Amino acid sequence: MFLQQLINALTIGSLYALTAMGATLIYGILGILDIANAGAYLVGAYVGWYVYYATGSIVLAFLVSMLVVGLLGIFLQRAIYSPILAKPRTLSIIPLVAAVGLFTISSDAVRLICGPNSKAYNLKFPMEVIRVGKVTIQPAWLMIFVLTAILLAILWFILNKTKLGLAWRATAGDREIALVCGVNTNNAMALSYILGYGFAAAAGIMTGILYNNITPALGEVPSYKMLAIIVLGGLGNPLGTVIAGLVIGIAEVFLSVYTKIPIPKDAIAFVVLIIMLLVKPEGLLGRRNKV
Amino acid sequence: MMKKALSITLSLLMILSLVVFTGHVAEAANDTIKIGFFAPVTAPSAAADGESALNSAKLAVKLVNENGGINGTPVELVDLDDGLDTTAAANIAEKFAGDNSIAAVVSGSYSGPTKVAAPIFQEAGKLMVSAYAVHPDVTGAGDLIFSQSFPGAVQATGAAVVAAEQLKATKIAIIYVDLDFGTTQVNAFKAKLEKDYPNVQVVYEQGVSIKDSDMTSLVTAAGASGADLIYSVNYYEQAAEVLRQVGMQGLNIPVLGTEGADSWMLLEIAQEYANGLYITTNMNRDDQNEQTQAYIKNYREEFNKEPDMVGASVYDAFQVLFEAMKNVGTDTQAMKEFIANMKNFDTVTGTLLYYNAEGSAVKPIQVQLVTNGEYHYFGVVDDAQIIDPANY
Amino acid sequence: MNTFYLFSILATAAIFTLLALSLNIITGYAGQAMMGIAAFFGIGAYTAAIITTHGGNFFLALLAAMIVSAAFGVVLGVISLRLQADFLAITTIGINFVMEAVFNRMKITGGTLGLTIAKPVVFGVKMGNKQFFILAVVFIVILCLLLVKMRKSWFGMALASINNDPAAARSFGINVSKYQILAFTIGTAFAGLAGGIYAHRMGFISASDFAFVVSIQVVSMVVIGGLGTIRGPIFGALLITSLPEILRFAKDYRELVYGLLLVLMVRFMPQGLIGEDSPLWNALTKLWRKLFPKKKTRADLIVESVKGGEQA
Repeated sequence: MFLQQLINALTIGSLYALTAMGATLIYGILGILDIANAGAYLVGAYVGWYVYYATGSIVLAFLVSMLVVGLLGIFLQRAIYSPILAKPRTLSIIPLVAAVGLFTISSDAVRLICGPNSKAYNLKFPMEVIRVGKVTIQPAWLMIFVLTAILLAILWFILNKTKLGLAWRATAGDREIALVCGVNTNNAMALSYILGYGFAAAAGIMTGILYNNITPALGEVPSYKMLAIIVLGGLGNPLGTVIAGLVIGIAEVFLSVYTKIPIPKDAIAFVVLIIMLLVKPEGLLGRRNKV
Repeated sequence: MMKKALSITLSLLMILSLVVFTGHVAEAANDTIKIGFFAPVTAPSAAADGESALNSAKLAVKLVNENGGINGTPVELVDLDDGLDTTAAANIAEKFAGDNSIAAVVSGSYSGPTKVAAPIFQEAGKLMVSAYAVHPDVTGAGDLIFSQSFPGAVQATGAAVVAAEQLKATKIAIIYVDLDFGTTQVNAFKAKLEKDYPNVQVVYEQGVSIKDSDMTSLVTAAGASGADLIYSVNYYEQAAEVLRQVGMQGLNIPVLGTEGADSWMLLEIAQEYANGLYITTNMNRDDQNEQTQAYIKNYREEFNKEPDMVGASVYDAFQVLFEAMKNVGTDTQAMKEFIANMKNFDTVTGTLLYYNAEGSAVKPIQVQLVTNGEYHYFGVVDDAQIIDPANY
Repeated sequence: MNTFYLFSILATAAIFTLLALSLNIITGYAGQAMMGIAAFFGIGAYTAAIITTHGGNFFLALLAAMIVSAAFGVVLGVISLRLQADFLAITTIGINFVMEAVFNRMKITGGTLGLTIAKPVVFGVKMGNKQFFILAVVFIVILCLLLVKMRKSWFGMALASINNDPAAARSFGINVSKYQILAFTIGTAFAGLAGGIYAHRMGFISASDFAFVVSIQVVSMVVIGGLGTIRGPIFGALLITSLPEILRFAKDYRELVYGLLLVLMVRFMPQGLIGEDSPLWNALTKLWRKLFPKKKTRADLIVESVKGGEQA
């Protein structure tokens, strides 16, 4: 059973990493805790569902959904977040309230437009469940691993090998200095949002496929759990987020299965987080404290 | 000083606008019987049940009016959304309680809102029938509060009998939702096993938060515990995931669910993995009873969807009220007496045998089995010792 | 007019006003990002409920609620010294989730079944929404007087300087740790008090009443009203608690409109609807001056000329 549980933990951990990556990229540049990213995750899952049902192509569903939601992200950044952040002395909880409002809108708009009932992806995989002895690997899990790897590779490429990525890293490092050096920080912000919301959309579709179920409440859990993960990963650090996602996945599975911890699986992420922050207040791979 | 005065003015303005808005409730004509109703329609996590509940309430009122209303007087539904929020439920309850034109109230909501509303109605002298709230103390608020459904403990005791006798389980793994719905049923289930079936063991037991969708590791652990039956006390989304994981992980273990798994959405999510699921519930879809078949047919026609346990329970709560009103009018005390003495009343969710002293409905427990992607009759538990909640 | 309904809304509004004011001490005055106020609201609610359900006096129960909640608040205050800004925000979110799980699992809090609490009888009167409203307003007035005094005191100035620049405050010899912990203590004490009143007003509490969404709601109240002012949280709490009822005419679109209003308010007035320097507040002040002109003192003239100079 141990090996099976390890695989279970890595699967859910990868999904967490994928889910929290969007919020991490946005935090890296704008320094805001974007709960609305969970709204992007929800909307992405629904857009993907409609595209998949219309075309029958899951690849197209991913691409269209990521693009649509990514563009929505840029729009929101331009229309809502940037003007709020432009005001002097903005506490981080102020954009957070706007994000909460956006998240409420997204959940309720989905409920009104798509109905409150569950929708199933019913994705037909071209393969069966793999069974090796007592251990099983389900096709959706393989898809999560592959998708996470592909998206992280793309992210690595964009951030490290392109001009835009250089601007992103410069801005994330220090926005003022980047501005002075002539870096277009606006482009970096736009990149953050298109990637951040696009990643969230992909994670939403993946979750929908994994559980074969999407509802207007889909974004509720990621809205807070992704915060725990990005903080554990050191706020705004993509690599840290991957490690943190896996750590939380492993902690959830093993603590709930092998110990008599009196706290439900769902809240374990925060127990891990609080303990870790008390020991190491700057996060797992924290570089600095953003104020 | 000026600022202080300003803020006081502002606050007064707020209160004034409240008065204006809330006072602006359209007073309908007095020649209808108004029934208050609340359900969690806008809460994303409960909206599916909220919609089902509201649809069934509308259907019940529509059908009764098509058949001449209550002795000629049409019924009017006054529905408010509680958003699954207890403070909103308190506001709604006060609103209905203070409105003399509301004849009685039906709760189409969960335990929290219903539990908060019940004492308010009792105190205001208004009768409430709760459709499906499972909290054992809802009816404890007083003699004006009735429940149309059986409490969780009844259903779980029945489930223990089914598990031990019909399904011949000896080692049971329990996965339950960490809410009153889950814990009351698990406790009653284990109590019955301990009392009457000492050879049946509970080998695994794990609570899970209502928000958690991942059942993978729990099912793996349940399988490794050597269980020959999984008792899943979850709502349909989690129950569906339990079924999918049992199927995909290749565990050959039957699953016994509850009324929480009684939803067409479970069939939609779990697909072929739903086959072989047993549930304890109150609605028997194979019941040839006129009421049941008419409800299923009407619901499909009206809303183009399949009805579920929540909807059927709400519909029945209205039938109980209508029956009382037809016989004794809308006087609260008279209705209370009538309902308390109701016997063998035919409803969609089976024959309501009688109301016990606590105001809880006593009716047989239906056991359904999913075959070919549909719920079908498997058995029924009608032992008086089990189905009367007064025995717990 | 249905007064039952009105007092039900007012009682909720008053309790949340108390809660918003207490969060404002921590977030508005001391500048600490506290996102888990509902945990302390819950600690107070359960403490008071456990005491009265075991036969204790209602007012003693409220006092105990304040003390127990403040005791946890001191601990959080100490923790807050180690964590900055967003790390503290997330830690408090985490505390909220853990506390909710604890309420849901402990035997003394009634576990998943919650606690049913009888309405207290005070001076021979069974408390109803009206009485709870009055009680909460009394505490609001006391707290406001305290806050007015506090802001003018050494403590208030110390907090303001910590909020502005902790490092500078420290260099002036202000004991930042002491004042920050004190802010947490007072804030959580009143949050606990609000919880105690809430528990008895509702008559039934369960863990989900103290979930993270409640914290977020209180944060919205403070931000929408105006951080760091007294009038802001009062106004915000009144607005946010009554909006869902006012919006009932919107029927199925209620939540959507609510979310939209939240976004628009923060987007166009991030300093709060009636916070310091918000356009609405400035306009109202101007209007007030026009309607009730007062003789200008020398000090006012100086302030105005300085302001004019800044603008020029």
